[in-house]
Amino acid sequence: MSTGNSGGNPLLNLAANASRGGGFSLSGASATRLGAHAMFVLTILIVWEISAQRGLLDPTFFGRPSGIRDFLWKGFVTEGKLWRELGYTLGGAAISFVLGSVSAVAFGLLFTTYPALHRAAEPYLTLLNAMPRIALAPLFLLWFGLGIGSKIAVGVSLTFFIVLSATVAGIRGVASDHLILSKALGASPSQLFFKVTLPSAVPVIFSGLRLGLIFALLGVVGAELIAAEHGLGQTLAYLQSTFNMDGVMALLFLLALLGLGVTAIMNRIERALLAWQ
Amino acid sequence: MTDTASRAAPRRNGPGVNISSAGGMAIDIRNLTVRFDVANRPPVLAVDNVSLSIRAGEFVSLVGPSGCGKTTILNLCTGLLPVAYQGRVDILGKPPTAGNPDIAYMLARDSLLPWRTALGNAAYGLEIRNVPQAEREAHARELLVRVGLGAFCDAYPKALSHGMRQRCALARTFCLGSPVFLMDEPFGALDAQTKLQLEDVLMDLWSAEQRTVLFVTHDLAEAVALSDRVVVMSARPGRIVADVPIDLPRPRSVRALQKDEAFHHLYAKLWTLLEEGSEH
Repeated sequence: MSTGNSGGNPLLNLAANASRGGGFSLSGASATRLGAHAMFVLTILIVWEISAQRGLLDPTFFGRPSGIRDFLWKGFVTEGKLWRELGYTLGGAAISFVLGSVSAVAFGLLFTTYPALHRAAEPYLTLLNAMPRIALAPLFLLWFGLGIGSKIAVGVSLTFFIVLSATVAGIRGVASDHLILSKALGASPSQLFFKVTLPSAVPVIFSGLRLGLIFALLGVVGAELIAAEHGLGQTLAYLQSTFNMDGVMALLFLLALLGLGVTAIMNRIERALLAWQ
Repeated sequence: MTDTASRAAPRRNGPGVNISSAGGMAIDIRNLTVRFDVANRPPVLAVDNVSLSIRAGEFVSLVGPSGCGKTTILNLCTGLLPVAYQGRVDILGKPPTAGNPDIAYMLARDSLLPWRTALGNAAYGLEIRNVPQAEREAHARELLVRVGLGAFCDAYPKALSHGMRQRCALARTFCLGSPVFLMDEPFGALDAQTKLQLEDVLMDLWSAEQRTVLFVTHDLAEAVALSDRVVVMSARPGRIVADVPIDLPRPRSVRALQKDEAFHHLYAKLWTLLEEGSEH
């Protein structure tokens, strides 16, 4: 659809279809709710599109739904350039998450095994954690270059502290009754750890991991925004500097979807893993 | 009490259990005195010169007002209480140590591990004691059936009611095969009706495979209904003020006893003793 066309009409038709339930079998409360949300979003998009056409909302500042759609179509289908950027961002986030959370769980175990070590390290950890990590990005860029290294460093610096505090809290939160019972049964220290402490800490560690994954993504995109060769953040910065608001809006939408997708995946893993809860 | 004596034969005892080494006593407490250190104050005398002997296979309840030291005595027997004491405590001829396989321990709180199914929880004690999986699960399953949870082997604790959870804890305790049971108000958190049901389950299990039981409770009716002897303690500092044999015939039905005249007579007698012990 070219920008000169009456872009509102197809959208209106779609909305009309949806309201008639055309094509969908809207049975059950959740389907009805989904339909209501679809209606709401469509209405916003239509109002946005029409306002942009009539000059009420300047597309130079706000973009327009049809332009956003065209941008995404081009980026993912006809030219396919966005796939690569998406790959860089997701890859960076995944590596940050794995490095950050594995080291955080390891340190969490170390700190709960040797509380004195934790007490000694705590002020420094608190200080590091209080620092706005994104402010470290220029430093990391200098150290690790414009490639994937610097964004991983930012991602790890965010993920690590979140997962660390969750691990420590989870392990400390073990029910004393379970420990007493197990000790009375004659459990060895390693049995206590693997059969009581660790399983009881898993739910707390897991909620830390879920947050950690979101923050890994945030750190990577943030670092890319500041400077990078590739990635959605870098693309976003470029589009913003060239005043391509359709592209900026499209990427913001994409990043929100990514965040949602990541949370949904973690929720599913959690449900499968923690069926007992 | 000839029937009690006949119960004293060793049953599922672990290897190396030698009951005769404690003069035939499964639990032998001699002149036990316990003081607790309190910050900036003189130590509190919690248990004052208590002597208590429990024969193998005997079911003895320890009753007394709250804070009388009955739980302290029980915890000392488990070896879990890191407190210095004067006197002697012998469990099957050995001083108390944490993780003693001769002892099974049960609390008011079921302490079921929420990430394990009923079967996993019932088998937990044996798992800690390194019994092979097939063997411990077969035994746990059998006990779950006997406590009435046969249909709930694969249920997680969150899906079980309070009563069912405590049934599972009973299965876990009996699954251990330890000759000595230490129970600290195991039914204290249950409603009256569920409590009677669980007491009957306990009686059924105990009559089938009798263990030596030291049962701490503040519920006199429970103590009378279950025990061979009820030991009454005074308020702090805890002393033994009475040791009352319960000569109600066995096997007993706790629910039937609720209407039994001899039961009520013993209950009234113990109530008087308990009240005398509380006033001083």
